[in-house]
Amino acid sequence: MRLLDAELVETREILPRQWLQRYRAPWLAAGARAGQFVHVRTPDYSGLVLRRPISINTVDRVAGEITLHFRIAGKGTELLARGRPGDSVPMLGPLGRPFEVDPRTHHVLLIAGGLGVAGVRFLADESLEAGRQVTLLFGAATAGDVYPSTLLPDEVEYVVATEDGSLGQPGRVTDLVPAYEAWADQAFACGPSPMLAALAALAAGRQARLGVARLGRKRGTGRPVPLGSPQARRRSWLQVSMEQHMGCAVGACLGCVVWGVEGPLRVCREGPVFAAEEIAWEEPA
Amino acid sequence: MRRRRSIVTSGPRTRSPHAGEPRLGLRAPRSRAGGAAGTPAVGDAGAPTGSGRGIGSGTGARTPALPAGTAPAGSWAGVPAGGPVSGVAAAAVDLSVDLAPRRPGRLVLRNPVLVASGTFGYGVEYGEVVDVERLGAICCKGTTLKPRTGNPPPRVTETPGGMLNSIGLQNPGVDAVIERYAPLWAGWQVPVLVNVAGESIDDYVGVVQRLDGVPGVAGIELNISCPNVGKGGLQFAVDRDAAAAVTAAVRRATDLPLLVKLSPNVTDIRPIARAIEDAGADAITAINTLSGIAVDRRTGRPLLGNVYGGLSGPAIRPVGLRIVYEVAQVVSIPVVAIGGVGALDDVLDYLAVGAIAVQVGTAIFADPEVPLRLVDELRAYCAARGLSSHLPLVGTALPARPGRPSAKGVEYRP
Ligand SMILES: Cc1cc2nc3c(=O)[nH]c(=O)nc-3n(C[C@H](O)[C@H](O)[C@H](O)COP(=O)(O)O)c2cc1C
Ligand code: FES
Repeated sequence: MRLLDAELVETREILPRQWLQRYRAPWLAAGARAGQFVHVRTPDYSGLVLRRPISINTVDRVAGEITLHFRIAGKGTELLARGRPGDSVPMLGPLGRPFEVDPRTHHVLLIAGGLGVAGVRFLADESLEAGRQVTLLFGAATAGDVYPSTLLPDEVEYVVATEDGSLGQPGRVTDLVPAYEAWADQAFACGPSPMLAALAALAAGRQARLGVARLGRKRGTGRPVPLGSPQARRRSWLQVSMEQHMGCAVGACLGCVVWGVEGPLRVCREGPVFAAEEIAWEEPA
Repeated sequence: MRRRRSIVTSGPRTRSPHAGEPRLGLRAPRSRAGGAAGTPAVGDAGAPTGSGRGIGSGTGARTPALPAGTAPAGSWAGVPAGGPVSGVAAAAVDLSVDLAPRRPGRLVLRNPVLVASGTFGYGVEYGEVVDVERLGAICCKGTTLKPRTGNPPPRVTETPGGMLNSIGLQNPGVDAVIERYAPLWAGWQVPVLVNVAGESIDDYVGVVQRLDGVPGVAGIELNISCPNVGKGGLQFAVDRDAAAAVTAAVRRATDLPLLVKLSPNVTDIRPIARAIEDAGADAITAINTLSGIAVDRRTGRPLLGNVYGGLSGPAIRPVGLRIVYEVAQVVSIPVVAIGGVGALDDVLDYLAVGAIAVQVGTAIFADPEVPLRLVDELRAYCAARGLSSHLPLVGTALPARPGRPSAKGVEYRP
């Protein structure tokens, strides 16, 4: 974790009100892992007092660059979107804990709802680099909001669902998951919390449906691993990247909690990635 | 001509001539040039000073004095913009403050910039990006007798010029705090004040008894903005008698420096502040957050899981200034200002209305380097104006005439 000034190199609107920005930030590019985020300062402290947490979308370690993908959701992100190449933007990061991929995992399933793609995008690169196969299931309301396939590596299998059926399979991204649950050794998801809750429910019934756990059965018998530890997460089939309003983003203010089965969890510190079993999911409405 | 409180003395201190009546503190002798550069204060150690908030009295804090050849403070403080007279070296500026002059030497900070409770965790979370040892002091997260899981999320949201929080005092309980953090604090130079919360006087006393004598605990900041279960949930902070009772009970339970933190959510702060001073507090810190609500426009329902939250940040600074202004006129113990501090100007404003130190809270979220930058900037500001301490800047905005404490603050006419 470090306070640094990242220099904006390139900025463009890739989807309506969604921006992709490339920053020069060698420290982040060198040290960040998929799932981590940065806390980005907005230009106006007296008006906007909080930084904005944004997932690290991709890194280019050679060029010392990172990209951020965000939606204009308010004044802070609007100001950020107005940035021009050459601007210096204060960031704090890398923050939070990364996705934990089991070394035995070959088939990686990424599940993204809308902007949630920014939360798992980096993991596609990391997984391919490690020689794994990657499928990205992506859901959006309509074709106009679908993440451009040109922004994905060719090796990624990309499957799209739209709620209005204007592109890909009609329906929700969660409807795509059952067809992949046997194939996938592990799944990693990011999106609106009802989507994550639905996935958690799917994941909970998966072992029973498949009749066999593909990972961690035999090896898991030794000493029990504490919930939330990297080992426990590596054994979990579904990891989710959660969002919450944040104050400090370093674990100091307790502002960003979500409810876990063992009590409150700080999204900025214990998360943003959690194993699905750690979270006390609300009953689907 | 305006009179202003001053801390610079060139001779033995006497009790304030005004002690007892307007409680406005030691008045500045008009001529105080020369004298005593570097001379330790002739302390009325141990005696409740009843004067000039006792700054510079006692062990540890040195009397700020002007180096020979510089203009006397009185000739420039608040002076017309004619520019600084002549500078002193920044390194020579002594920003130390005694926050518990009634307990000499027990709580002397190296500088007057603290970090506010709830915004800096236990001092460890920001350790990778802030040199915590250079802070004036750290107020840790509110600590209760038993662990608390806090309020349902969401707990924070940005508002115009500020934010609302409803953490709900999530903390692991005093025993865990002592076990996990006190050993670490004991190795630090920076004093750590434990912010204490409770729902009954017994709760508060129980927490404080456990903290008493624990190495690493430099003092107590009593957060009295908590519902008093014994009084049907009425906050201690809004009830003069309850505020005095909890302060007195805690005072009996410990010899640690005791700061009491005021809530702004009251009609008239002055009797409450006075009662807290009389009950034995060493200093007052003000303000805690203002009660507020945000609505989630997508659902049309309250946004925070707890419905109510506490407003902080630049938006509350005028309220903080008003409360400090009122409190500083009616108590003689030190006042530590909190509320929207983010820049040197904010520090100077709070000093002007009578605070001798400030706490930085919400501003840390935007920029964790703010507190230390303020220390450096305040030092440079004093140096450039020939001041060997920031204390002559204290109280310049207070009314000239004693005995007529602000009536306008609470009885304002829009
Ligand atoms: C997230 C958050 C948590 C807080 N927790 C506490 C607390 O536990 N105890 C307390 O006395 N004050 C607490 N406060 C109040 C601050 O210490 C401070 O009084 C207030 O935020 C005003 O200062 P500021 O405008 O500089 O933030 C909290 C404030 C925030 C923003
Ligand atoms: S945002 Fe402060 S604890 Fe997570």
